[in-house]
This record gives sequence, C-alpha cells and structure tokens, in this order.
Amino acid sequence: MAPTNGTGGGSDRGPEAVRLVLRWLDDIDPRSAVPIYDQIATRLKAAVGGGVLGPGDPLPSVRQLAAELRINPATVIQSYRLLESEGFAEMRQGAGTFIKRAPTEDRERDRLARARRLMRRLLADAAREGLTTRDLERVWNDLFKERTT
Amino acid sequence: MTDAAIRFDHVDFRPGAGFAIEGLSLTVPQGAIYGFLGPNGAGKTTTIRLLLGLERPAAGRIHVLGHPTPREAPQALARIGYVPERPHLHPFLTVSQSIDFHASWHARFDRQWAATLLEQFGLAPDRRLSHLSKGEMGKLLMLQALSQRPDLLVLDEPTDGLDPVVRRDVLAAVVTYVADYGATVFISSHLVHELERLCDWVGVMDTGRLVSELPMAEFKDGAKRLTLRGSVERLGPPPFTVLSAVGHGPTGAVWVIDGWRGEHASWLDAGGVTLEAVDDLDLEEGFVERLRARRNGREAC
Repeated sequence: MAPTNGTGGGSDRGPEAVRLVLRWLDDIDPRSAVPIYDQIATRLKAAVGGGVLGPGDPLPSVRQLAAELRINPATVIQSYRLLESEGFAEMRQGAGTFIKRAPTEDRERDRLARARRLMRRLLADAAREGLTTRDLERVWNDLFKERTT
Repeated sequence: MTDAAIRFDHVDFRPGAGFAIEGLSLTVPQGAIYGFLGPNGAGKTTTIRLLLGLERPAAGRIHVLGHPTPREAPQALARIGYVPERPHLHPFLTVSQSIDFHASWHARFDRQWAATLLEQFGLAPDRRLSHLSKGEMGKLLMLQALSQRPDLLVLDEPTDGLDPVVRRDVLAAVVTYVADYGATVFISSHLVHELERLCDWVGVMDTGRLVSELPMAEFKDGAKRLTLRGSVERLGPPPFTVLSAVGHGPTGAVWVIDGWRGEHASWLDAGGVTLEAVDDLDLEEGFVERLRARRNGREAC
C-alpha cells in the first residue's frame, strides 16, 4: 500500500528528508519519563534549528513514522500538532506535514530558551555536587579553547 | 449504546476450582491501544475468552462493540480480529488455502491487503502450516486477523516466543492498520517494554482481579521513587500511597509511592525530611511495584 501522505510536496529532497528524520528519531526512549511525543518534537526542532531540516521538507506520514518506531499513531499526531502550534511545521490536509519557514527571530528565541534551560539544569546539578560557578567557568574556558584551536 | 469498545461490569466467572474472576470491571475506550498486563495465571486469557463470548459469566454484564456478550457474540465476532496465544489453524492447509478459508468467514476480508502483507512478511503461499516456523505462524495469524478489517483487534501474547525481527514486523503491521482504520486494539502481553511504546491505556490484572486501569501517561506519572534524608520515622501519615519502603532509620529511606504531586515536597519539608531526589518509574517498575503493594496488602489482611 502506498503511503497516503507525507512524501512529495514542497521540497526536492522529499524522500531523503523523510529518511533523515527516521534516522534522527530511531533512538527515542520509551522508558524515559519524557513522553514520546515530546521526545519526537524536541528532536525535530533540534533538526530544524541545526539546519538538518529546512522549510518545505516533508516529515514522514503518521502511519510511516508510527510503524517505523512501533508507537501509537496518536503519539505521532500529538507531536506533529505540538510542532505546528509552535510554528515549526504545518499539517496540510491530505498532503502531509511539512517543515514551515519560521521567522528567524522565533527560532533564535527558541534556541536561547533551550540554552537557558540547559544552563539552569547544569547549574542546579553543579550546586548539588558542591561545584562553584568559578569551577564551571574554568572548565568551560578550557573546553572552549580546545574546540577553537 | 456505549462509547466503550469493551466494557465489563462486575463480572464473576469460575472456570474451575482454585481460580475465579471476581467483580471484574474494565473499560476499553473506542480507538484505544489497551495494554493488558499481568503475571501468568492472572486471568488474562480467561478474560479474553469471556470477551469473545467463548465463556458465559456467572454474574455481571459484558458489552463488546456495543453488543451484549455472549448473547450477541456472533455480531461482535464479525468485527473482531483475534490472534490467540496458541495457533488454532488446520495444519494440513497451505498458507494460501488457510487465507482463503479464513476469508470465506469474513465479509470484509481485504484480499489485496492480505496479498501485500503476504509479501511483506515473506510467507511462502504454498507451504503447509505444519511446516511453518513459530515466527511464520505468528505472521500468518496476524495477517489473517488484520485482513478481516476488524474494528477491534484482540491480541493474546501476539509476539511471545518470536524473534525481535519478526516482532518488529508484526507490530509495525498493527500500527499501520491502526493509523489507517483507527481500530481499537486490546493487547495482552507480559513483554512490558513493547507495550510501553505502543499503548495509551494500561490495565493490570492479578489473581482474577483488575489491580489498576489508567491512561498510560497517568500510570507512568503517578508512581515515583523518592530518596529521602532525615528522620523518616517521625513523619505522620503521608498524603500519598507508599507502595514500598526501603530503610526506616533516622538517616533516610527510599520510598516508591503512588499519587505524587509537586506540593507534597513541602509536607516532607515541614516534617524535617530532605527530599533528595524524585525519580520516575518506567512501565515495568510501576507495574511490579503496584502488584507487590497489592499482594502485600492482601497478606496483611
């Protein structure tokens, strides 16, 4: 049976984008406390933020992604809806779900929000381990030097 | 008459001495993928036989797809695809003969999809069923059940004893069917991790009774593991259910609890106990802890 939606559409690299998404998602963790729909949405947002997926790229159809990951189709719909409500994707009736052209500042705001969340977590962990901001700063600077040289 | 695909109301059934289903009430919402968990001998297969109309309850009511069962079981069965725990097909038929035989009983049988699945599953049409491997038999049973285009799929340990590759193929076919037709799936399994990614409802059975029935998210969300430091024994009765506790001394304890809410942290605080960590349980841990708590509670009575 041919997929009913999700392939073809706005981008030249449709099938390639779909393959990419499937590979990008193949290690979601059903045992995690983070709900599966959230894991999928977060990963796809990272893919958009990192330029792996671009405007017009199709996402796999609901049935294709659900079958591939052996998850409830409702879970896939839930994550696509979330992406849509956050402006990352649009669901076109009968055609499938596609990455949307998002205003740059939105993406930037989202990236900064994610960075902030990450840093807060790090700081909380560090405090629990008895590490000071100064310790973190030193390690950060060392790592940064390593990456730039 | 009801929104539920399956509804049991206070069902009693005693198949023999030593085991009884008592006061079993259970609701499977329309369109749900319902994971039916329980240790061996909990009564899962007996419950399935009741819902198929193969057994008559001593008391209580059963409705399946709106049909009172077993009175209107034939009408319900016409819309149910069933994969039994043990194969029940005629061993002398070939694969394609078995499919033809099965199709003759089901008006909505989709031959085109059966052919697609046959190829997808890599089943040889001319092979006799007596020569099929366990995995091939599992695929054939699923193929026949799905090609009926059922409104309700009842799967009794559908992947038990199958290798991971076959399990994957079989579950992918179920998911594809649900995505296309929105059917309800009732799946009994002790392979908890498989259900964890698939199901949106969970029912847990033990010794003929339903221990809990919840949407998956709530099932996973309510149970937490708390790591506590301080004089735990001086705390009053907690505002949640303690399923199990390790350590009671003045230095701290690890509790597995049900019904956790964020504001409970201040209750611990007020009791002079430090909450070091709140960890989530996965489905298997939540399942085991609830069973253990129930069994301990019963022994205490």
